[in-house]
Amino acid sequence: MSTLRPTTTHWRVWLARPLEWLGPTPLSRRKALWGLALIAPNTLGLFFFFGIPVLMAFSTSLQEWNAIRPARFIGLDNFERLIQDDRFAQALTNTFKLIGLAVPLEVGLALGVAVLLNLPLRGRNLLRTAYFLPVVTSTVAASVVWTSIFQPRYGILSQILKPLGLGDTNWLVDPGLVLIPVAVVTIWQRLGFDMVIFLAGLQAIPAELYEAARIDGAGRWGRFRHVTLPMLSPTTFLVVVLAIINGFQIFDQVYVMTLRTVPGGVGGSATTLAYYLYRRAFTNSEFGYASAIALVLFTLILLVTVFQLAIQRYWVYYEAESQS
Amino acid sequence: MNARRVGLLLIVVLMLALALPVQAQEGEAVIKALPCKEPGKLTMWVWDENWAKIIGDSIELWKSEYCPGAEVELQVQPWGQYWDLLKTNAAGGELPDVFNMSQPFFYFYAVNEAVLNLQPYWDEFGVDTSVWGSGLVGPYRWGENGDLYAAPVNWDTITVFYNKDMFDAKGLAYPTADWTWDDFAAYAEALTDPEADVYGAAVYAEYQAGYPNWIAATGETPVVDAARTDCTLDNPGSLEALNFLKGLYDKGYMPSVSVMGGTSADDAFNFWASGKVAMITGGSWKLTQALQEVPFNWDVVQLPKHPQTGRSRSIVHAVGYVASARTANPDLAANLILFLASDEGQRFFAEGGNVAPANPSPAIQQLWIDSFGETDVNIQAFVDATYDSQGVTVFEEIWDVMNTELVVKIFDLGMSVEDAVAETCDVINEQLP
Repeated sequence: MSTLRPTTTHWRVWLARPLEWLGPTPLSRRKALWGLALIAPNTLGLFFFFGIPVLMAFSTSLQEWNAIRPARFIGLDNFERLIQDDRFAQALTNTFKLIGLAVPLEVGLALGVAVLLNLPLRGRNLLRTAYFLPVVTSTVAASVVWTSIFQPRYGILSQILKPLGLGDTNWLVDPGLVLIPVAVVTIWQRLGFDMVIFLAGLQAIPAELYEAARIDGAGRWGRFRHVTLPMLSPTTFLVVVLAIINGFQIFDQVYVMTLRTVPGGVGGSATTLAYYLYRRAFTNSEFGYASAIALVLFTLILLVTVFQLAIQRYWVYYEAESQS
Repeated sequence: MNARRVGLLLIVVLMLALALPVQAQEGEAVIKALPCKEPGKLTMWVWDENWAKIIGDSIELWKSEYCPGAEVELQVQPWGQYWDLLKTNAAGGELPDVFNMSQPFFYFYAVNEAVLNLQPYWDEFGVDTSVWGSGLVGPYRWGENGDLYAAPVNWDTITVFYNKDMFDAKGLAYPTADWTWDDFAAYAEALTDPEADVYGAAVYAEYQAGYPNWIAATGETPVVDAARTDCTLDNPGSLEALNFLKGLYDKGYMPSVSVMGGTSADDAFNFWASGKVAMITGGSWKLTQALQEVPFNWDVVQLPKHPQTGRSRSIVHAVGYVASARTANPDLAANLILFLASDEGQRFFAEGGNVAPANPSPAIQQLWIDSFGETDVNIQAFVDATYDSQGVTVFEEIWDVMNTELVVKIFDLGMSVEDAVAETCDVINEQLP
């Protein structure tokens, strides 16, 4: 490809001239150094406070460790135990249920809101800000407020539902219902984030495509269906992937919203994988077992994301591809 | 030979003379502070802001009177993160030298040899550990000889808080300490007023303030026995107590968990303070707040007596001071703990009110009662409740399942006591060693 730059420099030469690998000329090297210096604080922080603990989780998952006694190597026992653990299976099911409940609604609503707020409306910026506000609100604070909204009899929602005879619904206690409030908070809080990404995607669609479609006689729906959706599909793909990853990590909402009734829900009905991991680590002091759960969570997210990458060519449309 | 006998006798008499007045004389300290051997640096953790202030004051006195040159770094780690932080610090080998311990958490730190055995120090300091009520120190004893690993800081007991205005409105006489469960049920019925959205009672919430007190009155150890061999919730006494409470709930005299807004004793207290229920079971730790904030006339009375056993039993809990097993300064840490538990150190708690000091000196206890100032409220009822009391036998791993889940199943989801208890015992048995 490039022949200007010698690419065969031996590592001994790098050692002798330590900055050679940064670039061919002094100026480019200086630029590169600056770049490295600027990303260093973040990268180092990420490495020490994220990378190292993640690596440690791998070894901890093979140990029995209660944080006080010295750890004991037990091979794959933790993973064997996971397979037989009904509560783990339940947490896994709950997590998938939550994702199934929250992600389609979240993405659908965000798309709708983004399309509406992309129209030349009066007060559009104010509305965009309003929709984005929950994103910058702390999940804990939001969950506290939502908990009171969902409280039976005295909560706002119960007051609204009272005429329907649903005023005493135990949203946060009933094992069959408790995932709904958790999903609602998740959707409410993620909506603005997804919306912003959608808005960026919408604004990148060339106006001439709409004009062409209009000339071809496409109506409002037709233009949305045949121009907006396909052109937006890379954005949609990103939003869906991020929403699912977020879904796997739901923790704060469950922690806060069930704290005052039954932590983790009656019989574990609100327990997600992340919450189960936390309880195993900090209530039962089973840090090895909790690390094994963390690894399973990590693997699941990885697999689902790889799967999505694999199937994206069936529905995601990249403009660049079609032109070549 | 004879002279020797006389000498021995003299020594015995002298010892008796020295020992006896400890009990008899007024003004003599029950637990005496001693000077430290060598000052040094200590770190200490507590979870309560107010305690930190009180403990900080007593540490100042310790530093000036008993251990000049010592330094104590006192840190508040709020309850919400206290135990998580303690564990993560233990993992890093960095437990504070001295820290507050709660009875349900002690087992974990004891079984993992993370806390220092203070018994040799009690012996050295000449402290008789039986001066403290057994419910206060029992859960902090460990090992074959029942060595005491903690000094109790405080006690808290449960009584019935009742709204006098509601009793007056219905023309009911106020309850007295000799009332029974039957009287209680009759009051609950009479005070319930669905029209006004008022319940008669709310007395099941939370382990310490709720249903376990009723189980204890039957003579049963609530939830799990002290030896951790058996879930006691399906024993006859437990079933009787829970069914008694469930009966009151089914008849509409008690609100559901959801209506109260949560399973904590604070939820019941707030419900009571807002005038929605006439009687609740509440802890001595709510006295200050109640005296300051409750807008109606109220009083407290000891828990009603079980009709057959004739016993009224409160769950008692004592926070403890413990030292890390790996502290670099065990002698100094023990000396500080001795001071904090001594009459001199405990005075600060007594005078501060709110927290009842564990030190059994009658003078200290009276100081505590007096600290609330002029009031008609029968504060003595809390002290009386310490006599026939039940220490905490439950532990962290089973906390949620018995503290909240069982309560929600019975008093919210309408499950039968027998079914709910069977499910709860299944989970508890998994956690018993």
